Amino acid sequence: MKTTLKMVVTLLLAAAPAWATLGEYESSVSVDQQYLKGEVREQSQPGFRVHQITAANGITVREYVSPKGLVFGVAWSGHFAPNMQQLLGSYFPDLEQAERTATKQRGAPFIVRTDRLVFVSAGHMRSFHGHAYVPSLVPSNLSPEVVR
Amino acid sequence: MSFKNNWKAALGAGLVALAAAITLASCGGGSSSSTTTTTTTTPVNNTAAAEVNAGPAGNSLNMLFVTVTVCMPGSTTNCQTINNVQVDTGSEGLRVLSSALGSLDPSKGNGSGLPTVNDSSGDVLQECVQFADTTYVWGPVATADVSIAGEKASSLPIHVISANPLYPVPSSCLSLGNGGDINTLQTLEANGIIGLGVFPNDCGGACTASSASAPDQYFFCPGGVCSLPTSGVPLNDQVTQPVVGFASDNNGIMITMPGISASGQASASGSVIFGIGTQSNNGLGSASVYSVDDTGSFTATYNGVQYPSSAFLDTGSTAFYFLDHTTLGIPDCSDYSGLYCPASTQNYTITNTALDGTTTTGQVTISIANTDSLLGPAAGPYTGFTALNDLGGDGGSSPSTDMVDYGMPFFYNRSVFVGIMGQSAPSNATNTYGYFAF
Repeated sequence: MKTTLKMVVTLLLAAAPAWATLGEYESSVSVDQQYLKGEVREQSQPGFRVHQITAANGITVREYVSPKGLVFGVAWSGHFAPNMQQLLGSYFPDLEQAERTATKQRGAPFIVRTDRLVFVSAGHMRSFHGHAYVPSLVPSNLSPEVVR
Repeated sequence: MSFKNNWKAALGAGLVALAAAITLASCGGGSSSSTTTTTTTTPVNNTAAAEVNAGPAGNSLNMLFVTVTVCMPGSTTNCQTINNVQVDTGSEGLRVLSSALGSLDPSKGNGSGLPTVNDSSGDVLQECVQFADTTYVWGPVATADVSIAGEKASSLPIHVISANPLYPVPSSCLSLGNGGDINTLQTLEANGIIGLGVFPNDCGGACTASSASAPDQYFFCPGGVCSLPTSGVPLNDQVTQPVVGFASDNNGIMITMPGISASGQASASGSVIFGIGTQSNNGLGSASVYSVDDTGSFTATYNGVQYPSSAFLDTGSTAFYFLDHTTLGIPDCSDYSGLYCPASTQNYTITNTALDGTTTTGQVTISIANTDSLLGPAAGPYTGFTALNDLGGDGGSSPSTDMVDYGMPFFYNRSVFVGIMGQSAPSNATNTYGYFAF
């Protein structure tokens, strides 16, 4: 039985989306850390906390946590983009929906602006950056611009 | 495997240069020689005609096209001449639709195609490239002799974009979600993309790392199951910028475009000239040199706000993707998502600052006009203009994400240089990561 449980846990971890972070509690950051195989540095700012994960492949991900312990935003930069299914979690379908319907201009950033999710992917080959946040989870005394 | 022929060609050119240097030294007499690095090469035709027009899909905007010849390595007769290949200074390496390769298409599997890059078990190296706009291309890596103008890169690794890939694209590659596979003439709006950016390869050191830390870009798919190469992909096997494979004129490019009407034109003809300071037609002159950092970017400042490492020059971008409509205080168009529709043409003066320890600073002024006026409303009728020097759009959604993407509009009425990382550079540039100059 123990073995079975362990297997279930492993499978769940492998199926990363269920454990992803935007809109989840702070504890999910450690799962991102495992997924990105990176080192975490924590920093406290007035009104929020930032966990910065630097992955072995050089991608930097910053996760912004509200005083309530919820991840309200994520930002990334590096030579490659991190896995959004992992980072956006239950908000990933919002991105997918936007991708299906958007007209894309060559070289333009990809921008989603809805009540549920703001998402920006920008850059060029060997240089990607962007951010995503949930407007309703951003503490009312903060500007979403902190997510950078 | 790769570059064997190149070595020979480079050696040949080197001998010519050396002979020239010796001749010069013996004539000049006395002066101690530090001249052996100056490039005196057999002049080849280094100028490729390039044109902005509606393209093969018939509806393209600000896409710059050239013709490229792809040959079986070592052959000068088993070749395909491929027109309508988009020039992209925002990426690296040649990517060609499998449909444009004809009998050289390696994915036909009948042995007539280009040789693929394989591992020791015979598995073919596959590559997935996702662009920041979330679209992607996927297919095998093959080697070819690639010619453009009089220049030739032998046994160059190129990316074949498969319309009917042997394996489904690995979902791990689609980090940004699935914004669509641009693997047809209609979706790519070209027969291929020739990436002539600042880097020599399309991945670099990150993909030489083992599967434990490499990004999800190169794959082997034994038995149809794709995974990262266990011990990484050597630089020589990665899709490589054609210019670094040339025997000479291999340190960068110069793009020259004519001035065009501010209201747009149906087409515009210019040149892509290979090499920087290597022939009489490609000197830097008085151009300002902006060395870039390891992301291929330099710094821009607008209205007192600095946007660090956010600026680059990209012929592959349709418009000036410059800051965002809220920051600029102009509206997006109601009918063209993400493009600007100011009531009247706006001029913006931007200060550019080099990175990588150099100090060049300078200003440029760009104009952004009303997209509806330039193109006609999205519902038609259209103006039919495809060459536009004042098309602009959002480069982000707020200052924290904003880019200063000097897209194709920037290139008209200018000569722009793209210096390649690690190649010989003029004295006022650094080549640690390459540079842009204009």
